[in-house]
Amino acid sequence: MMDTNQYMGMFLEESREHLQTLNSCVLDLENDPENLSVLSEIFRSAHTIKGMSATMGFTTIAELTHEMENILDLLRKGQLKASHDIIDTIFRCVDTLEQLVESVASNNESSIDSKPLITKLKALAKGESILPTPAKTEAVSIALGAASTIELSDTEIAIIKKARDQGMQAYEVQVSLREGCLLKSARSYMVMNALDEIGEVIKSIPVVEELEKENFSLSFQVIVVSGSEAEKIQHTVLSISEIDQAIVIPCVLPNDATGEIAAPKAIEPMKKDDEAEKAGNVPVHTQTTVEKKNKSGQSVRVDIDKLDTLLNLVGELVINKTRLEQIGLTHKLTDLVETIEQMDRVTTDLQAVVMKVRMVPVGQVFNRFPRMVRDLSRDLNKEINLIIQGEETELDRTVIDEIGDPLVHLLRNSIDHGIEHPNEREEKGKNPIGEIRLIARHEGNNVIIMVEDDGKGINADIIKRKAVEKGLILQGEADAMDANEAVRLVFLPGFSTAAVVTDVSGRGVGMDAVKNKIESLGGMVDVETKVNEGSKFKIRLPLTLAIIQALLVKVSEEIYAIPLGSIDSTINIVPSDIKTVQNKEVILLRGQIIPIVRLADVLNIPDSETQQHTEDELFVVIVHIGEQRAGIIVDNLIGQQEIVIKSLGKLLAGIKIIAGATILGNGQVALILDIGSLIQ
Amino acid sequence: MLEKSYASSEVQLVVFKLGKEEYSVSILQVQEIKRITDITRVPHTPDYIKGVINLRGSVLPVIDLKKRLNLPQQVLTEDTRIIIVKVDELSVGMIVDAVSEVMTIDQENIDSPDVVAGSVAASYLSGVGKLDNRLLILLNLEEIIGVGQEVKVV
Repeated sequence: MMDTNQYMGMFLEESREHLQTLNSCVLDLENDPENLSVLSEIFRSAHTIKGMSATMGFTTIAELTHEMENILDLLRKGQLKASHDIIDTIFRCVDTLEQLVESVASNNESSIDSKPLITKLKALAKGESILPTPAKTEAVSIALGAASTIELSDTEIAIIKKARDQGMQAYEVQVSLREGCLLKSARSYMVMNALDEIGEVIKSIPVVEELEKENFSLSFQVIVVSGSEAEKIQHTVLSISEIDQAIVIPCVLPNDATGEIAAPKAIEPMKKDDEAEKAGNVPVHTQTTVEKKNKSGQSVRVDIDKLDTLLNLVGELVINKTRLEQIGLTHKLTDLVETIEQMDRVTTDLQAVVMKVRMVPVGQVFNRFPRMVRDLSRDLNKEINLIIQGEETELDRTVIDEIGDPLVHLLRNSIDHGIEHPNEREEKGKNPIGEIRLIARHEGNNVIIMVEDDGKGINADIIKRKAVEKGLILQGEADAMDANEAVRLVFLPGFSTAAVVTDVSGRGVGMDAVKNKIESLGGMVDVETKVNEGSKFKIRLPLTLAIIQALLVKVSEEIYAIPLGSIDSTINIVPSDIKTVQNKEVILLRGQIIPIVRLADVLNIPDSETQQHTEDELFVVIVHIGEQRAGIIVDNLIGQQEIVIKSLGKLLAGIKIIAGATILGNGQVALILDIGSLIQ
Repeated sequence: MLEKSYASSEVQLVVFKLGKEEYSVSILQVQEIKRITDITRVPHTPDYIKGVINLRGSVLPVIDLKKRLNLPQQVLTEDTRIIIVKVDELSVGMIVDAVSEVMTIDQENIDSPDVVAGSVAASYLSGVGKLDNRLLILLNLEEIIGVGQEVKVV
């Protein structure tokens, strides 16, 4: 067997992409069974998977996709109708294919049996393909869009004329190879061969010898005489892999009067790549050609590690720039300071660009949800309309990778507990079809993702009662809570509201896991709800995790960084402002009691001024995590600065109150405080 | 990597001083030797962890080797160095009193560490090298750095 390992990564990635396309397209098809362009897209994706898997030697995948293709082909020709049964079967095929691809990825011998599906597909193909075949081969009126550009010699014209007498047609086939195509000569050869099978090739531009030597950019033209229809020719050509486009237009002879001959219509250019192929999905290629005008933008697939390295390097540059700045200021070198100001602009831009490069649209996560919602709502006999907004909102790659699970959880919750059954909804005078909105948008330096449903909402009283029953809070605490606080109890560990533990959710690991995950990403999650009107879960996420704004503070001789995101304000107090409640130091701020943390004590910092209590004035940084607030007493405030977060490494990973480290302008390392564990 | 010109039975050692005694580590584990720089203390760590330093943009932990080996302390001098070693993909700095030389020693001249049960716990040693009249104590860095065992939070 040939060594296919090096193509493995590409195979997996592309298969997953195509499976995703399949999933979303089949969903579209379900809603609009007549839509031919969707069907063609499904067909193309399935076809590509078939081709790739066959090349890689994964016969099970190839077999299954082959059978799928048969069904799809019948659908496309209108010989089969996209019934529920067929859509479901196609969905099952996609699922099975996903499993097969993943088992290839994890290198497991797959135990997945695709036989029943194949049998089912075959039965579907036979059973229902008795629909009358539409009458074909009618002469179609001429619709010449793209005019032929090839000049024909007399002999060639003679051949074409002769062919026409025999009822055949001459076509000009304009073939474009996909950018990055490796074996151009082989592909062109395959095209020629395929065309030879259904007709006779009489001319090609460039000539065959040139094609074999790869002396062409990405496209070439072929004149072929054939008894087949233009569609058939186009399909034949497109079935060869790495063909981007094939345009088939009938040849017009110089003395043809328009309309004299019933020439088949020109077929609209058919793109083999799906339109949705997003930026970043095209394999790296070095070739540049003039043919790429029809592509909206070029893109390069880059390993995320390389981007991380790039980001690190930019981070370093920022640090060094800050150092230079400081040297300039200390030694009062105006020239240097001016130059650095210039450099500052460049580095800021550079940083922005690098951050942008790492950004991916949340759509990448969102696009698997429609299918999930469809399946779940069917299982639960509910009717749900999922509305997705702002899928183009971009987030850092690292955040994107992590955000999927919490969102799945929130959606499942809304579907299972939020949206009521249709009859219940009707009784309440609501639209029987429930609505879930998944919305993403920017808000300052954050991205907001909301999961909103118009279901039954969360009843604060029930939540309170449950929380007390489970011993999570005391009755007294419950009584003192307002509705908003009570609803937030769902985020407590060990809380699950489902009266019945269903397969979908309610296994008691729910919301606290969501909350933890979001907070580990530096974000926050909150909930708003109204009984019988619905609930709204709001996730706030930072755009990036690598570079943050922080406040530098000084305690004794040590400098620490506090992430600006968790800072409310900074205040000055005098020691007498500090009161003691139950042996804990607190201050009163705008009527709120706020516990005090002396940084010097918590971090065991020797000789701090605050420990000696000599200072008349104390600096307090008011921080918050969620709703929890605390005041951190420091010796001095240095200022706000953009810092690059560095890890402390494996050896020191166990220290909870330190979130990481950063390098200051003078080259010194400053530690970043983890506010969450600090104020607990 | 080791050059082919060295016989396989020879090892190259970086020799350094801790107090009066001479210690060494294999040169293959040494990444670089640095003058002492600003070390940022990290709270809630064992006392032998001196803190972290900035090594060209990366943050590295630094171990006070003498504290780790329970040797008497000494003030920092002009000769004090940080040896950056890499053990199991983990880069760590070690503070030593002075770096004296790099020498080649024959494997035959390295005895097992229990020969000299000196002032240092035997598990931290991997051998004792004899060269002329000198005794070079070879350190077992894996054990000293404690790879695989997270530093306990104090």
